[in-house]
Amino acid sequence: MPRTLSTSHEIGGAVTLNQVKIGADVQIRVLSGPSCDRLRELGFCENIQLRKISDGRNLICSVCGTRLAISRELAEQVLVSPVA
Amino acid sequence: MSSVPEAPAMIALVGNPNSGKTTLFNALTGSNQRVGNYSGVTVSVKSGETFTPHGKKVRVLDLPGCYSLRADSPDEQVAIDALTGMLPGEPKPDLVVCVVDSSNLERHLQLALQVLEQGLPCVLALNMVDVAEKSGLRLDPIKLSEELGIPVIPMQANAGKGIIELKQTLRFPLPFHPSAPWAHGPEDPGVARRSFIEQLCALAARRPDAHQQTISDRIDRVLLHPFFGWVFFLVVLFAVFWSIFSFASIPMGWIENAQGMLGEWLISKIPEGDLQSLLVDGILGGVGGVLVFLPQIVLLFLFIGILESSGYMARAAYLMDGVMAKAGLSGKAFLPLFSSYACAIPGVMATRTIHSPKERLVTIFVAPWMSCSARLPVYFLIIPLLLHESEGTWKQAAILFAIYALGTLTAFVTARILRGRLGEDAKPSHFLLELPPYRNLQWGYIFRHVFDRAWAFVSQAGTIILGLSILLWALSTYPKTSEGDAADKLAHSAMGRIGAVIEPVVQPLGFDGKMGTAILTSFAAREVFNSSIAILFRVEETDDEVQTRTALRDRLAEAKWPDGRPLFTPLSMISLLVFYIYALQCLPTTAVVAREANSWKWAGGQFVFMTGFAYLASLAVFQIGKLLGY
Repeated sequence: MPRTLSTSHEIGGAVTLNQVKIGADVQIRVLSGPSCDRLRELGFCENIQLRKISDGRNLICSVCGTRLAISRELAEQVLVSPVA
Repeated sequence: MSSVPEAPAMIALVGNPNSGKTTLFNALTGSNQRVGNYSGVTVSVKSGETFTPHGKKVRVLDLPGCYSLRADSPDEQVAIDALTGMLPGEPKPDLVVCVVDSSNLERHLQLALQVLEQGLPCVLALNMVDVAEKSGLRLDPIKLSEELGIPVIPMQANAGKGIIELKQTLRFPLPFHPSAPWAHGPEDPGVARRSFIEQLCALAARRPDAHQQTISDRIDRVLLHPFFGWVFFLVVLFAVFWSIFSFASIPMGWIENAQGMLGEWLISKIPEGDLQSLLVDGILGGVGGVLVFLPQIVLLFLFIGILESSGYMARAAYLMDGVMAKAGLSGKAFLPLFSSYACAIPGVMATRTIHSPKERLVTIFVAPWMSCSARLPVYFLIIPLLLHESEGTWKQAAILFAIYALGTLTAFVTARILRGRLGEDAKPSHFLLELPPYRNLQWGYIFRHVFDRAWAFVSQAGTIILGLSILLWALSTYPKTSEGDAADKLAHSAMGRIGAVIEPVVQPLGFDGKMGTAILTSFAAREVFNSSIAILFRVEETDDEVQTRTALRDRLAEAKWPDGRPLFTPLSMISLLVFYIYALQCLPTTAVVAREANSWKWAGGQFVFMTGFAYLASLAVFQIGKLLGY
């Protein structure tokens, strides 16, 4: 429920990248899961802002000006909160 | 002149995929090398030479693009080995040039910092500054240089800008060993690197606040659309196959005419005898029968080059991920498999970018079933026999499409079964793909690449195929007999005897001994089939006119079994096509598979399996077809 999150700044209130709506700008709060090192190397680092471009089997995000396609399993490991 | 060297002996280029590293390498060395917008173009270490502004020669290594130095994939292992001097036959580089995309510093600096921690003298090549400036990024190379403690060269490798400045750094004294201040704190190195990069980018690479909608985004909205994206993808694929069939016929006609004129000239100059027969029938017929397919191969590589250079190839991989998943593979297997349509060798090598070891093995295993360009000559010889041109070229294109579809489908089914057998990886890996911005085509590189492949094809025609043509000619000419007509002479020759031995093996597939012999010779390289057929069926005829491809087809259409039944029935031709779709007749592929899979067992098993499968499939087609009354 992303709407209730706009006021939350705690990690506990963040949602995964899968739950974000298309076109939303979000900021990465925390990465947790087995593939987070690989995600960080690709630019999915804490505090980085990104925009979700498309959904589906794999989702596309714009990170630092680059489009990256990642699987839903990976997106599950990215916890984000909306940009204020 | 002092004896002290003034320039480093060797430098290495390191960078993320899509950082323009290969473009920089080409700009430095002028070497013929492929550039692509898709990660995985540099699959092995390329080396070349460049000169400093003072004329000193420097060796340049182009390392595979990688995201980190963690040795997660074979690509990264190669990069680490090269930087630590562990690469066999290569010394440790004297200087490392870290290539970064300046519009993507947050991401690309992560690798650069890891390289700096290695302690080698480093230079940062701040590539694609034009793209960064266009997107509104404010770069401060001087600040970057101060903070990182290494020279930073802003450049635009594709336009040749900054190359001179970079070359100025390739001399002694080399830059100081970087101190890597972030690496000495108590924190985890990954966290330390990231916070350093965050501070650095805030200082020296400030982004505009607004998130911009780029042209690539707008194009992607259509090309990655769940429906229109697929329509576009299928149209592209069909257009590629169709134009290979129709446009190529014009230059092919020129080659055939030139070949015919050369043959007539030879006949008029050289007296009739063994020499004339060797030159006209053996060499010209054999090599020419293969060379005529050059236009089609050029077109195929041209299209692959265009798709790669424009950035569409990564989108195709994204689209195909769902389809590949049905075969137990991921979208990452798309580029290796698609490249295999041109040639299985670069395809097998491109599997290095696949992280999952088991997915990689499976992809290597099925790659040769993607019909490669060496099979095209055989298809192009047989398809018009099966269906005349007057029926419409689109029908021929449809058959060709069906051939590709059959090979691909079987490959997918096999991959799925095999993937199920091999089980899951010890370490899970997920789909991850960078979609580079659409770029203008780099025609210079595309043409160079096409030229390289065409040259490789021509030189193969000039060596292996020339040798085999002479051998085949000799085998089908000697030992001689003066009795009987040409057919008796052939039966008496060594080739006729080999054919007689093979015939019982291939007869159940609908082939006679001569076709069997031609197939046997094509185990060296598939396209040899055409020259073998040309030589084998020519000797039977007595006329001296140089055959064109059409004449060869007419001759094949006239060929009969001893009892008068036509040899090339539609059924036997389909059986032949099926055999060529499945048989693994390429020694270089087997050698590359053995190296990449690091197992001769895997390569040998693949060869035996595919060839056995081809035999059985062909057998099934012919026997079932016969039962059905065709």
